Amino acid sequence: MQIKLSKAVFFLLPVGIPLILFWIIPNLYSLGISFTDWDFMTTGFNFVGLDNYFDLFTQSFFIHALLNTLYFGIGTVVPTIVLGLGFALFFQKNFKGSAIYKLLIFSPWVTPTVAVSIVWSLLYEPDYGVINKMLGLFGIPGLDWLQSSKTAMLAVIIVTVWKLIGWTMIFYIGALEKVPNSLYEAASIDGANSWQKLKNVTLPLVSPTTFFLIVVNTITSIQAYDQIKILTQGGPSGSTRTLLYLFFQQAFEQFEMGSATAIAFFILIITILLSVLSKIIGDKWVNY
Amino acid sequence: MNDSKNAPLIIKHLFLALSSVLFVFPFIWMILSSFKTSSEVLKGGFWPEKFHWENYREVLDILPLQTYLFNSFYTSLIITVYVLISSALFAYMLTFYKFKGKQFAFSVVMATYMIPGAVSYVPVYVILAKMGLLNTHFGYTISMSVSVFAIFYLKQSFHNVGFEIIEAAKIDGASDWKILWKIVFPMTRSSFVTLGLVTFIGNYNNYIWPALILNDGSKKLITNGIADYFINSSLGRDWSHIMVASTIATVPLLIVFLVLQKWFLSGVTDSGIKG
Repeated sequence: MQIKLSKAVFFLLPVGIPLILFWIIPNLYSLGISFTDWDFMTTGFNFVGLDNYFDLFTQSFFIHALLNTLYFGIGTVVPTIVLGLGFALFFQKNFKGSAIYKLLIFSPWVTPTVAVSIVWSLLYEPDYGVINKMLGLFGIPGLDWLQSSKTAMLAVIIVTVWKLIGWTMIFYIGALEKVPNSLYEAASIDGANSWQKLKNVTLPLVSPTTFFLIVVNTITSIQAYDQIKILTQGGPSGSTRTLLYLFFQQAFEQFEMGSATAIAFFILIITILLSVLSKIIGDKWVNY
Repeated sequence: MNDSKNAPLIIKHLFLALSSVLFVFPFIWMILSSFKTSSEVLKGGFWPEKFHWENYREVLDILPLQTYLFNSFYTSLIITVYVLISSALFAYMLTFYKFKGKQFAFSVVMATYMIPGAVSYVPVYVILAKMGLLNTHFGYTISMSVSVFAIFYLKQSFHNVGFEIIEAAKIDGASDWKILWKIVFPMTRSSFVTLGLVTFIGNYNNYIWPALILNDGSKKLITNGIADYFINSSLGRDWSHIMVASTIATVPLLIVFLVLQKWFLSGVTDSGIKG
């Protein structure tokens, strides 16, 4: 149906006004700041062109944060997808008690990241934390977890995966319900074993969901902040400082606004590249 | 028919029960620790020797968690209601009408979805400061009042309604406002409920942005209240009190979830995303 824009405006403005005021103008403004050396405190600033962007690559802490983001992203997304699908496969057929299991596995997603990260930091305590105590029961020596630069990122990843699995699982359960049973029956007649059915029937048919979940979880992991703030504050010695965390330190601790917004736009560029890349991969591999 | 037949049922239950316990273990530990004394938490036993209910009183005496909780609930509620209504109007236009600039409007919305919120924090902070709305719940709620996810989600479920129904109602002389709330809304009610819950929880759990703009003691949200308490206590932590604060922040949401669970466990995928 056709409609005049003037008539549509009433329906569009309740989203449009805040969208322009709090998204579009600020983002353009940010783009502007990223070309300056503004420090937030003073009113004066100079245009420095692309210097903020080029400078990033000469600074070792930026490269370090970039690698941390990569480590965190892959370390979060891969286990989340694999375990999310793994649990969903258990629930492909309804059985007594399945609703309770789903409920419990999903519950971490509901809770505030800040609050549960505080709880995890108690669980991770090297001397009196319950995780090391449990490991001790099996004769495994405890780790320093959040207090060592070797294990801190792993600890942050575990908390993030723990929170995301339920959400991922629910999407897979929805996708698996739509796989026609006749396909499994046909595969059985052809003598396929469970593994072959998973590989040749299930995985191709849920591939749009996998694709969607990889994109969404990747964006979520690039934007992770709360758990890092509570668990490690980017430490020890920068080992859990991701790009987004670096942005916050540059912007609200160092007041290097130009450099901070340049990092933020760099994050945006990565996000766009990933989306384009996943679109290309998606068109090639995903069966719609 | 598939894998599950081969795996003996008992092993399946055992595995799932064990996994489920691992998933909720942090909550159990949090609640039990909140009733222990501090030294008991450090000893690391499981069950409290005695339930110290007074821990809750002691924490509430120094930390106005009930105020923070109220702030979180009511701001999240206002944001959710506004997001649902405004996104429904927007999605209705995008789904059922053609107009000049529609493609442009949609592209703009698309683009903002990919931009990390962090990009706009500094300018939005400045804008709110200029409007005199820093440290106000009004400033916070209006700056959170757009959800691109909500627009996508509703647009997707409106597609399932079908154009013929809208056309027919138009011919009968119904206004768009009426069509949206009397025809489209009842047909997509479950999408609205699920989206409302997801939006509410997302806002209740919001931490970073309110931490930047709501610094005033009585204006804080629950996430900021407990995070500040935790971070400020880094020298010598009273873990039992910290667990009380975490429990107060977490349990109300877990209860909401338990009561309304079916909307999460079935609704999320129903209409949002094509599988």
